[in-house]
Amino acid sequence: MIINSLVQAILLGGYYALIACGLAFMFQVMRIINLAHGSLAILSAYLVWEITDALALSPFISVLMILPIMAIIGLLLQRVILERTTKGGELLPVLTTFGLAIVIDNLLFQQFGANTRSLSPYLGDLSWESYEIFDLWIGKLPVIVLITAIAMIGGLDLILRFTHLGRQIRATAFDPDTAGLVGIDARKIAGISAAIAMMTVAISGTALGLRGTFDAYSGGPQLLFAFEATIIGGVGSLWGVFMGGIILAIAQSIGALIHPQGFLLGGHLMFLIFLFARIYFHRDVFSLKHWLSKFNKEENVV
Amino acid sequence: MLSVRNLDVRYGQFRAVQDVSMEIAQGDIVSLIGANGAGKSTLLRAIAGALPVYSGSVSFKQQDVTQTPSSTRVKQGLSLVPEGRRLFADMTVEENLLLGTTVKRSGDWNIDRIFETFPNLVKRRHSKTGHLSGGEQQATAIGRALMSNPDLLILDEVSLGLSPLVVDQVYASINSLKGAGTTILLVEQDLGRAISFSQRAICMLEGKVVLDKPTCDTNKEEITQAYFGLHQSNNQEAS
Repeated sequence: MIINSLVQAILLGGYYALIACGLAFMFQVMRIINLAHGSLAILSAYLVWEITDALALSPFISVLMILPIMAIIGLLLQRVILERTTKGGELLPVLTTFGLAIVIDNLLFQQFGANTRSLSPYLGDLSWESYEIFDLWIGKLPVIVLITAIAMIGGLDLILRFTHLGRQIRATAFDPDTAGLVGIDARKIAGISAAIAMMTVAISGTALGLRGTFDAYSGGPQLLFAFEATIIGGVGSLWGVFMGGIILAIAQSIGALIHPQGFLLGGHLMFLIFLFARIYFHRDVFSLKHWLSKFNKEENVV
Repeated sequence: MLSVRNLDVRYGQFRAVQDVSMEIAQGDIVSLIGANGAGKSTLLRAIAGALPVYSGSVSFKQQDVTQTPSSTRVKQGLSLVPEGRRLFADMTVEENLLLGTTVKRSGDWNIDRIFETFPNLVKRRHSKTGHLSGGEQQATAIGRALMSNPDLLILDEVSLGLSPLVVDQVYASINSLKGAGTTILLVEQDLGRAISFSQRAICMLEGKVVLDKPTCDTNKEEITQAYFGLHQSNNQEAS
């Protein structure tokens, strides 16, 4: 029972990592907390739903079609809104994206109404097929989502580490002024980063639609989960965010085991614990290295 | 090559650079001298495009670049080694150097030649620049600027915080650029070194240029007077 909850929590954590990845990437690279993140994910879920429905395609093909659309939306978002708001201080992007979230939510409501939708009917058997391992039933779809999360975060990590574009993105994040003096076009890099972030949003929105249902106002909870996973994992690295997603899901499952309504509460509690710990302790406390070196020191003393 | 006309740079109400004009020709080696707060770094950062200009103009290779972003100026061949080195500390030496190739200007400089010029960097190639010594960091910063194959290299206080021995090494490596025909504008606090290294000295005081002469026509005393503002008051007394 407990092992089953743990396994299901890790699979759910894969989805949280997926949705948190774009939020964390944007925060890391552009220093913007995009409060429209969840709403944009829902927007892409609707786009995938529309294309899948209209062209009778598999959702996995439709998501490939909306990737470039979301990339363009990301570029426009950067050029039209974020670029101007970042000039007005740190608070302004938060307010603007908050407003944008409301606009997107209500436009979606106006267009698609209050009905909930899901992409799972277009999947056929895949939506309930499972692997049976040691008396555990593991859904194929959550496994696909988890693998997608690992592949996406791994891919972004490799791009950031080993490509020229990745070096330019990291340099711009570290010190935009000096990046300009080295010849990096910070504006272009910000546009590309926003486009990449929106592509991850497209994938996570699709994953949401495949796993369950969504409606026009589903964006808020998605933003909340993404934000909690990002804070738990620490904004320093994308793999941290992946761990953050899994820790959040485990905390929610433990909450649900304790009390039927404890699912969200468990997650919030874990988020608050990490938030205060991050404020009051040195950041080293969260790295594996810190604990390993402590362990070694204790050994030396003995 | 570089022409600055009536340049004014302000921080709010404060005029850090006031009505500065200067011409630098191809192949010139020019030293910019002045006390702390005289506006040297502000002037250089404005020339490189890292600070907005209040009034006046900067043109580079007969093109007006006053409103051009810094990255475009690097592409045109103007590179600044900023004061305090400003390396990307969480990246390795090699990554910092590779960032210099962003603008894809062709020329003699490539990563191997940087390591030949600064042999002290070879064993540090894969170390994070935050962990390097001051001299190694400075070499990386100069190397990063050189990787863009600049026509005009601007060096802001490259000897700041370095031991005299390391300063000698850094200057020895910059010296090799002279032969290659690179135009150099540098800030140097050591007057003797500035006079011996460059062909021309420009002295700034309180945001204004108070002296601009070939180094062969001037001497340490005259520059020192300009440096402390004695130059002007003497003139006023004389008149």
